[in-house]
Amino acid sequence: MKTLISTIVLCCSLTGISWASGDGIAFFEKQVRPILIKHCYECHAEMNSKGGLLLDTRQGWEKGGDSGPVIVPGNPGESLLIQAIQYRDPDLAMPPKKKGGRLTDAQIASLEEWVRMGAPDPRIAETKLGGMSEEEAKSWWAFRPLPEPTPEKIDAFIEEKLSEKSLEPVPAADKRTLIRRATYDLTGLPPTPEEVEAFLADDSPDAFAKVIDRLLESRQYGVRWGRHWLDVVRYADTAGENTDRPLPHAWRYRNWVIESFNADKPFDEFVRLQLAGDLIRAGESRERLNEGIVATGYLAIARRFGHDIDKRAYLMHEDVIDNLGKNFLGLTTGCARCHDHKYDPVTAEDYYALYGIFESTRFAFPGCEPKGQPRDLIPLIPQAEVDALLQQWQAKVAEADATKKQNEEMVEELKGLVASNVHTVAEDKVAEGANVDFARKELEVREGEVVQLTVFPNGSHAADSTQVRLKITERGGERSWSLEDLIDGFTSGNPRGDHGATWCFYESTVGPAFLTTLHESLQSNASLKAWKRKGDALSVFVNTDEQVVRVWTTLPARSVFMHPERNRPVSVGWVSPLDGTVDISGMVEDVHPSGGDGVSFQLSHLATPKLGDGLVKTGIDLNRKHVDPGPKPVIPVAYAVTEGDPANARFQERGDHEKLGAEVPRRWLSVFGGDDIADPGQSGRLELGDWIAEHPVTARVMVNRIWHWHFGRGLVGTPNNFGSRGEAPTHPELLDWLAAEFVAGGYRVKPMHRLIMNTAAYQQSSDRQLLLAEVDPENRLLGRFGRRRLSAEEIRDSLLFVSGQLDPEPAEAHPFPKEETWKFTQHHPFNAVYETKKRSAYLMVQRQRRHPFLALFDGADPNASTPGRQTSTVPTQALYFLNDPFFHEQAAAFADRFASLEDDKKLGRIYRVLFQREPAPGEREAAKAFLKQYPAGPPEKWRAYVRVLLAGNEFLHLD
Amino acid sequence: MQNHFTRRRFLHSAAAGSALFPGILQQLLADSGDPLALRDPHHPATARNVIFLFMTGGVSHVDTFDSKPALTRDHGKEIKADHPEIQNRPGYERIYLKRPQWEFAPHGQCGTEVSTLFPHVAGCLDDIALIRSMHTSHSNHYNATLGMHTGSFAFARPSIGSWVSYGLGTMNRNLPGFVVIAPKQTYAGTQVYANDFLPGAHQGTLVVPGAQPVANVAPRIPADRQAIELAALRGINEAHLAARGSNDPLLEARLRTFETAFGMQMAVPEAFDFKQETDATLESYALERGQTSGFGWQCLAARRLVERGVRFVELIDTGSSGNWDAHGDMMTHVGLAKNVDQPIAALLEDLKRRGMLDDTLVVWTTEFGRTPFNNNADAKGREHHSWAFSSWLAGGGVKGGIVHGATDEHGMRAVEKPVHVHDFHATILHLMGFDHEKLTYRHAGRDYRLTDVEGHVVREVLA
Repeated sequence: MKTLISTIVLCCSLTGISWASGDGIAFFEKQVRPILIKHCYECHAEMNSKGGLLLDTRQGWEKGGDSGPVIVPGNPGESLLIQAIQYRDPDLAMPPKKKGGRLTDAQIASLEEWVRMGAPDPRIAETKLGGMSEEEAKSWWAFRPLPEPTPEKIDAFIEEKLSEKSLEPVPAADKRTLIRRATYDLTGLPPTPEEVEAFLADDSPDAFAKVIDRLLESRQYGVRWGRHWLDVVRYADTAGENTDRPLPHAWRYRNWVIESFNADKPFDEFVRLQLAGDLIRAGESRERLNEGIVATGYLAIARRFGHDIDKRAYLMHEDVIDNLGKNFLGLTTGCARCHDHKYDPVTAEDYYALYGIFESTRFAFPGCEPKGQPRDLIPLIPQAEVDALLQQWQAKVAEADATKKQNEEMVEELKGLVASNVHTVAEDKVAEGANVDFARKELEVREGEVVQLTVFPNGSHAADSTQVRLKITERGGERSWSLEDLIDGFTSGNPRGDHGATWCFYESTVGPAFLTTLHESLQSNASLKAWKRKGDALSVFVNTDEQVVRVWTTLPARSVFMHPERNRPVSVGWVSPLDGTVDISGMVEDVHPSGGDGVSFQLSHLATPKLGDGLVKTGIDLNRKHVDPGPKPVIPVAYAVTEGDPANARFQERGDHEKLGAEVPRRWLSVFGGDDIADPGQSGRLELGDWIAEHPVTARVMVNRIWHWHFGRGLVGTPNNFGSRGEAPTHPELLDWLAAEFVAGGYRVKPMHRLIMNTAAYQQSSDRQLLLAEVDPENRLLGRFGRRRLSAEEIRDSLLFVSGQLDPEPAEAHPFPKEETWKFTQHHPFNAVYETKKRSAYLMVQRQRRHPFLALFDGADPNASTPGRQTSTVPTQALYFLNDPFFHEQAAAFADRFASLEDDKKLGRIYRVLFQREPAPGEREAAKAFLKQYPAGPPEKWRAYVRVLLAGNEFLHLD
Repeated sequence: MQNHFTRRRFLHSAAAGSALFPGILQQLLADSGDPLALRDPHHPATARNVIFLFMTGGVSHVDTFDSKPALTRDHGKEIKADHPEIQNRPGYERIYLKRPQWEFAPHGQCGTEVSTLFPHVAGCLDDIALIRSMHTSHSNHYNATLGMHTGSFAFARPSIGSWVSYGLGTMNRNLPGFVVIAPKQTYAGTQVYANDFLPGAHQGTLVVPGAQPVANVAPRIPADRQAIELAALRGINEAHLAARGSNDPLLEARLRTFETAFGMQMAVPEAFDFKQETDATLESYALERGQTSGFGWQCLAARRLVERGVRFVELIDTGSSGNWDAHGDMMTHVGLAKNVDQPIAALLEDLKRRGMLDDTLVVWTTEFGRTPFNNNADAKGREHHSWAFSSWLAGGGVKGGIVHGATDEHGMRAVEKPVHVHDFHATILHLMGFDHEKLTYRHAGRDYRLTDVEGHVVREVLA
C-alpha cells in the first residue's frame, strides 16, 4: 500500500507543475511564500545556506541540505522540513529560538497542507554554474570563440576609443626615447651608445622595426620575458614549507622558461609541456623527453605547506589549481575549494575533478623536517643508466660497510684475546732525553704468540719521538729478528713478514688499531717514512738515511722510531713463528727532549697463540680491503612531476580534507563542456594540457599579458581575473583581434611583439597632457605611453651593466649546501642570500624570507601569482641610493671606466650611457659647479656625480 | 594654493576611476604622495600606538599566568585527551598530568595570581587585563606564529602591524610606521612582519639590536658631501620633472623620499641613542650604559620609537631556536622569563610615568601554551598546546586589574569566554579605532581583512 502511495506521489510531482498550476500555485503564493520569506530566507536563501540548505528555489529543497532532501512532496510526515517546524526534535527545531522560534500553529498547518498538495512551487531557479547562470556563463565574453583574423590595424582600435571621448593621442616619442623604451622592454637592459647612434643614423622607414628584430634575437630577450612568466607562475628556489628547503634542481625549469622565450616556442606547446611534457614527449629522443620533463617543473614548484608536507598535500593541490586557473584561464579556480565559486562559473565539483588529476600525479618531493631528504626527483638519463651507476656505487658502499663491520668484529675479538693472557716482561719510565736498555733471557713462546713493545706518553703530555731497538733471538737456533732490519723496505707493508715472523705496527689505546696510512716522506724529507692511522702524529717511522736528520728534533741515522700521542700509546708487535725459547734485548730513548717529561714503555708477552694470526689477518685485511666507495654519483635530475597512481579524488566537504564525500570523475571544467579524461589509467594531465591550450580564453589571457607587459596595463586591467569580478576589457574588439592573430600565427609570441611595438600607440610620447591626464588618468584609452619606474631586476642589472660588471651568461644551479648535509628544521630553517654578477632573474629567491633587494623594489611575490609589478615609493629605497655598498661599488666602477677622459668628454660619455643623449648646456654647467664645489679629489668627485645621476629619476624611469 | 587645489581635484578624479594598481592608488590618494599620510580610523580610538611583545616558542600558561591548584593536586593522574600533539605519536599512548613547577601568589589590588617566574610584571597587574582563555588554530610553531601575526595559519598575509600602519598612516615621516625589533628571525621568517599585498610602505622595518639597527641608514660619506649630492639630485630631478610637464605624482613622490631618507639617517640613530636617558631609567630596564642588545634595550627602544610617533613596534624576545619551546626542560623558562620580566615591567612603569600608557597599547603574547600533561608525570618538559594559553593587554583603553576568561581546572581547555586569535586581533583593532570587519583591502578580486571571516571584540577588557 505504501509503495502505491509513493508511486502516485511521484507521478504527481513529475507532472506536478502543470497539474498544480491553478490552485496549488495560488495557495503557495498566498500561504507559503510569505512564511518562507519572513522566517526562513534569512538563513536559507541566496548566499546563505545554513546546513547547505536553500529554501528560495524549488531546486533548493529538492536537493536539500546536509541531511538530504527536506520535502517529500505529498508526505508531510516524511518531510524533514515539516518535522523541523513542528519542533519535535530539539536538535532539529526550526526556526531556531534566537531567530523568532516556533511558527504559529496556523503557519505550520499551511506548510503541512502545501506539502500534502505535492509542494507546488513556481520558483524555478535558473541553472547555476558556480556563481553564474548557465546561460550567462556559456556566453561570457572571455569564453566565446575567437573571431576570424581581419586585416585591421591595432591603431585603428585605439583611435576609435579615443575619438569617442574626443581625445587625440599625443605625438610620437623621439628616437632616443624609443630605443631606450624598446631595449628595456625587450631585454631589461639599457641600449649602448653605439646602438643608439646606429638607430639615429638609420633614416629608413623600417629603422625601428630593425631595432625590434635585433632585440628579439638577443639572448637577453628571454631573460626579461622569461622573468615575466616566472612572476605569473610564482617561481621560487625554495619549497616554502616550514623549513623553506632549497630546491637545487628548480633552476632547470627557470632556464627552460627563459630559453623557450628565446626560441619563440609556440605558446600552446609551452602550455602543454608545462602540464604534461613528460607524457607528450614519452618515446621521443632523450633530449626532447628531458625538455618535456623539465617543463613540468611548473607543477613541481607549487608551494609546499606545513611540517610534514605529505599531510598538507591538499594545500599544495590548491596552490596548483589556483595558479593554473589564474595563470592560464584568468579564473580564480582556487576559490572553489570549499564551495561553488561565488561569482564565476566554477563549481566545487569542478575543483575536485581537477584535484583528482593532480592527486594522480607524483610530484617531486623537496624534503621536509620529518622527512629530511628529497625524493621522487626525475632522472634525466635512462633509468637503466641510473640503476647501473647507483648499483656500482651501492655495491662499493656495501662492500666497504661489510669490510668495516668485519674488521670491527675482528678487532673486538682481538681485544678479548689481548686482554686475556698478558705478561709484562719489562717496563720502565724514560726520563726527558734519556734512554733505558731492557733485556730478557729465556722467554718461552709458542707459535702465534706476540711480543709487544708499547710506548706511552707520560701523564697527559703530548707526543714524543722515541727511538726504539728490539732484537729477538731464537735460543739454540740460527734465527734472530731485529727492528733495524725493517728500515729497508719499510714501506712494503704493515704487517710485514720477516723470516717467518711478522711485525705489526698499531695504536693500542683501546685495542689494536693498525697504522694503515703510509707516508713516504715526513716533513718533505724522503728519508723519513712513516705508518700512521690518520693525519695525526701517532706513528711508527724510520730514518733510512746514513746521516742524522734534523727536523723537529735530531733523528739518528738508520733508526726506528715510535711516536705516541696524547693519551694514545703506540705498539710494535712481533708474531712468533716458533715454539721455543727466545732472548730479547732492546732500548728506548726519548729523542725529542722539549719541555716534556719523557716517555714510558712496556714490553709484554701476549701469550695467546691465536692472537698472532688474528692480528696479522686484521692488518692484511685492513690494507687489502680498504674500500673507499667515493661520493655518490651525481645523477642529473629535474624537480618535476610524473604519473602517480591514477584515481579519482573524493569531494572534500567544505574544503575539509578529512570529510570526504563522493568520488568526482576527473574531467574538464563543466562550463567548458566538462569532458571526461580519455584514459582513466592515466592522470589526465595530457588531456588537461590540450583543453587549456586550445581554449580561446587561454589565448585571450596570454595576449592580454603581452599587452600588459608592454604597456604596464592590460586591455583587461586584471590579467589574472577574466571572471565577473575582474575588469571588462577596455578594447574588447582589439583583445579578440589580438587573440585571433596569436592563434592564426601559430601561438608565436615574437610576432606579437612586432605587431604591438610597430604601432603608433606603442611609439607615442609619455607626455601626461593635461586633458588626457584629467579624462583618463589611468591611461586606459592609451592616449599616451605610460611612464614607469624600472623594475627591481632592471635597476640592479642596469647598475651592473653600466659599471661593466654584468656577467650576461645564463646561470645554472645555486650554491646551495649539499643535500646530504641538510638538517633544516623549523627552528633552523634554510636562509641565504647569494651574491652574483649574473642577471637578476637568476637571483636565488626564497619563499619564507624575501630577497632583501627584490623586496625593497617590489619584486614578484614568490608565494602567489604576480600579474603585474607594483610600484611603491618608500624612503628605504632612497636610503639604498644614499648608502648601499653595492650601489656605491657600481657607481665607482662606472665612474672609473672613464677616468682617463677629460671632463667634458667624460660627462658626454656618461650621459650617453645612462640617458642616451648629450648633456644640455645647463647640465654641463651644473656638473661643472658640482665638481668644483665637491671637496674631494677627481676620482671621488666623479664617483659622487655618477651617484647623483644613477639615483636620479631619469635613470630609473622609462618614458 | 591654486596649484594644490588642482592637484587634489586631479587626485580625486583619479581615485574615482578606481582600480589603479592598489599601491599607486594609495599614493595618489595621500595628498603628500606618501601612503603613510595620517588617516582617521572608524571610531575614536583609545590607543594611538601599539607595543607588541611576542614571546617566541610557546610560553607555558600553567607555569606563569594561569594558576591551577588542581593540577598540583592531580599530579601524576592519567588522563585521556584527543590532543593534536599526541595523536599517532609513539610513546604518547598514555599521558599524565604534570604539576606547575613554580609557586603562584596574588598580587596588586586585584589580587590576580602570577607565578614567581614574573615577579616584576606581577607588580603591574593592576594595569593589566589578563586573558586566560586564549586559544589558537594550530599547534605547530610556524603556523601558530604566522596566525598570531597575520590571522592566517597557512598562507602569507599582511601582518597586524602592516594593517595598523595601512589604516592610520604615520605621525613621523622620518621613521618607519611599523618597526620590529628582534635579535633573530622567528618562525615563518619575514612573513611575520610582511606587508604582503598591502602597499610596500607598510612593511615592517626590521631592527636587529646592535651597532647598525636599520639597513643603509648609516651615511657612507660625510654629511657635507652628502648635502652637496642631495642638492644636485634635487636639481636634476626637478629639471626632469619640469621637462615632463610637472604633473607626474610618482616622480614627485620619489623626489620627496630622499628628504625623508635624509631625515631617517639622523632620526633612526637618534631614536636608538640612549645617551640622554638617565641612569635611573637605564637601571630600571636592567641596562648598562652603552649596551646595545638585550630585551631591556628592545623595550627602551620601543618606548623611544613610540615617543617619536612610530605607530606599531613589535619586540620579539628570541628567535626560532633557544626560545620558550621547553620540550626538554621547563627550567629553561627561568632564564627566558628573567630576560623579559624586569624590562617589561620597566616599560609599563616608564610609559605610565610619562603619561604615554593612556594611548599606548601594550600587548604580551606567545603563539600557544604548553601541555599541562606529558607522557610521564616526571617528564621535565611540556609539549605544544593550542587549546589554551594566556596573553595580556595593558594601557591604551584597556581595563586594568582584571582577568578575562578561564581554562578548566587543569588548564587544558579555554572553557570560560574563550578568546581565539581572531578575537584578540579584533580587540586590538577596536582599541586602535577600527571595526575589524571594515578594515579591508581589495586584492585579487576579494576584500581581505586581518580577521578573515571571524573575530569578535572582547568588550569586557575595554575600560
